[in-house]
Amino acid sequence: MATAFKRKGDRFVARLDDVERQVVVALLKQTHEFLAPAPREPTGDPFEDLVARLGMPRLTDSAGDAGDDVAQATRDPALERLLPAAHRDDPAMAAEFRRLTEHGLRERKAANLASAISALQVTDGDKVRLDQAQAQAMVVALTDVRLVLGERLELRTDDDADALQDRLEAASEDDPQLLLAAYYDFMTWLQESLIQVLMDL
Amino acid sequence: MSIAPAELARTDIAEDFLVDRPWITLVWNDPVNLMSYVTYVFQTYFGYSREKAEKLMLDVHQKGRAVVSNGPREKMELDTEALQGYGLWATFQKDD
Repeated sequence: MATAFKRKGDRFVARLDDVERQVVVALLKQTHEFLAPAPREPTGDPFEDLVARLGMPRLTDSAGDAGDDVAQATRDPALERLLPAAHRDDPAMAAEFRRLTEHGLRERKAANLASAISALQVTDGDKVRLDQAQAQAMVVALTDVRLVLGERLELRTDDDADALQDRLEAASEDDPQLLLAAYYDFMTWLQESLIQVLMDL
Repeated sequence: MSIAPAELARTDIAEDFLVDRPWITLVWNDPVNLMSYVTYVFQTYFGYSREKAEKLMLDVHQKGRAVVSNGPREKMELDTEALQGYGLWATFQKDD
């Protein structure tokens, strides 16, 4: 049975039983898979390949032409929430920002999630022990997991979030949303407990 | 090099001053991010005091959005990128 994060010396310690730990790791892994940028195929052009290895946008990446509107419409809404349009009134500026930042943002989010996953794979009975860097990575990684779950649960407004409990009580037992909502609740609780300890530093 | 008359050149300088800080970074309310987490991010990333971070968080929550920083466009783009890295719904725009 899980217990909230507590500060023990320079470590952040919680308890998660095997099932709980497996659920958290599985959700972190799925989010990692969802977000990690696709490896870029070498182009054969030494300069372009160097640029790609540095995680920079390719010069040939689309910079806001008409095709972007189509790509925008078919983009997974969860991805749209994780990497939202950075300008609300100027699609060209938003597209340019995305071209310059998306690859790096995806890489950093993926690295955070990977760090959280590996921190949970070191077991000491049912204890999870994080150092400060791992705790900081974990709290951000849990945000990305919750954003994806929240989108799958169609939480778009504060009212949706408030109504989640009622919706679930009315749902039938085999409603797949029930399981998602249970995960969402658990991740929320875990994240809140870690934030409280991080903020007391 | 400009060969414009001195008067015009002064106008250019004045305009440069005016356009030096007209960009802002906004954070928008969303139903998922926890109030404590949003406060934590404002403190951690901007180095804001707990009081200032909480006030901004409450603005986001109650008014739907808050201006969290202002300055040159390049800096606002950096702030937006960093806040999106934290999972906040951040955008930048010209202040008007």
